[in-house]
Amino acid sequence: MDLKELHERKVKDILDEKQIWNLPMIEKNANIEEVLSILTARDHVWIVEEKGSKKLCGVITESDVLRLIAPPRLPKYVFGKKYSVSLQHGTAKKAEDVMHRQLIKCSPEDKIGEVLTRMVNSGLRRLPVVEGDEIVGEITVHYILQILLGKR
Amino acid sequence: MLLEIGIALLLAKILGHAMERIRQPAVIGEIIAGIVVGPFILGEFFGMKYLSPVTEGLGQIGIILLLFISGLEIGLDEIKAAGKNGMITSMFDVAVAFFFGYIAGYLLGYDVRTSIAIGNILVATSVGITVRTLMEMHALHSKVGELILTVAVLDDVLGILVLSFTLGRGEPALLIAKVALFFLIFVCVAFLINKIRDVKLHIPRFMLTAALSFSFIFSALAHDLGLAAITGSFFGGLALSNLPQRRRINEFVRQMGENFFIPLFFIWVGASFDFYALKDIGPLVLLFIPMALLGKIIGCSTGARLCGFKARDAFAVGVGMMPRMEVALVVVTTEITMGIFNETLAHQVLAATILLVIISSFITPVALKIVYKGEENQHSE
Repeated sequence: MDLKELHERKVKDILDEKQIWNLPMIEKNANIEEVLSILTARDHVWIVEEKGSKKLCGVITESDVLRLIAPPRLPKYVFGKKYSVSLQHGTAKKAEDVMHRQLIKCSPEDKIGEVLTRMVNSGLRRLPVVEGDEIVGEITVHYILQILLGKR
Repeated sequence: MLLEIGIALLLAKILGHAMERIRQPAVIGEIIAGIVVGPFILGEFFGMKYLSPVTEGLGQIGIILLLFISGLEIGLDEIKAAGKNGMITSMFDVAVAFFFGYIAGYLLGYDVRTSIAIGNILVATSVGITVRTLMEMHALHSKVGELILTVAVLDDVLGILVLSFTLGRGEPALLIAKVALFFLIFVCVAFLINKIRDVKLHIPRFMLTAALSFSFIFSALAHDLGLAAITGSFFGGLALSNLPQRRRINEFVRQMGENFFIPLFFIWVGASFDFYALKDIGPLVLLFIPMALLGKIIGCSTGARLCGFKARDAFAVGVGMMPRMEVALVVVTTEITMGIFNETLAHQVLAATILLVIISSFITPVALKIVYKGEENQHSE
């Protein structure tokens, strides 16, 4: 597919309906071990309100986990409690202790070009696709490449 | 001046790292770097002139960024999640720490406004030293550790609030109205930002520049309303803390602040350290430092005890809350800039605060380890 043409298409046009069944998702009160287990195979996991729900409330990425498993290192100026979240020190117990709550999202009506620009500006490699509060899919660099190269 | 800034930044980086190697905060290294480049060492022997309106201005920008980062990182969500125990202990902590500072000023014969200013310096605890110590002791997840962290977060917020009410300029009734107006604007802005956060603007990285600009505008607003500019930057950070771009904004401001403006503030603090002030500082230090340490121990222990903590656990909470660092230095510098102290007293209070920062930073890890050891023994008995 032509890249320019892809930029003009909407998210809903390229989103595979079956994708939702394969999204990495877990509820916010899940144990951190379960989260880590998912991240052994995936590079992120979406956090939802409760089991069976699709109400999106956070994300944990591999870079968050990297900070959790590396030897603890505090920045020069410490404010708030986020730097005290640690696997080694038992303060990272549940998914909600580690997740990022403020998410940059996209909607099924957004154009792919806009979504990619948002990803570049925000330094993100994946965006959740949401309708209302619920996650209905995700746009990742891998997924876009597959579409571009006709592998989907 | 360019040479002085270059040398100061390099020295601050090296001494900051050296301090971290001996498990002390880098800020102390940055202050020492300031003392070295200041008028008493490199100034005296090599004729360097670090202190100038330009370096002071750069340091003032550092203060705004520091408090903005603080508000952004603490965030409204952490305040909401503080819980009853944290709130109660924090209120006792802030009230007693402030009162002890005020009493120290009163006993030294200072007027009410000066005594209040001393009380303000003692309110905010530095979370960094305590987190580091709790990590070393593997006590971060304990209920003592959890309460210390929550209270340390809350007392930054309460400390800035107390500062707004006690040091604002103007008649009391008018001041209350101005503080109320500032917080009304804060609530409205926080609400509006939450509503318009998904607005699409086609200016690349607009949000980062807008956030930075917002921190200065909010600081100016607070200043123009007669409050301290730092109140504005702190609450400006809090107002943006629910944005989806929070992490990105934080990284951006930290990059700029942590590597340039904020070290320049601590260097400026060190360079302003007046060795002549040490001559007459005895009575101030003898009251100021013990009152600073005792205020936290008594305030937090009482609060924690009322929340159902055992006596020794409550005591450990008080001990863990003793360190003062970034915010105390910001508050004292702001008060000096506001002209609250006369010139001699300004040098003495700044020197006393620097000594408090260093002493509290060195004794808290040792004291907390002694108290916590006692707590472990108590549990094993």
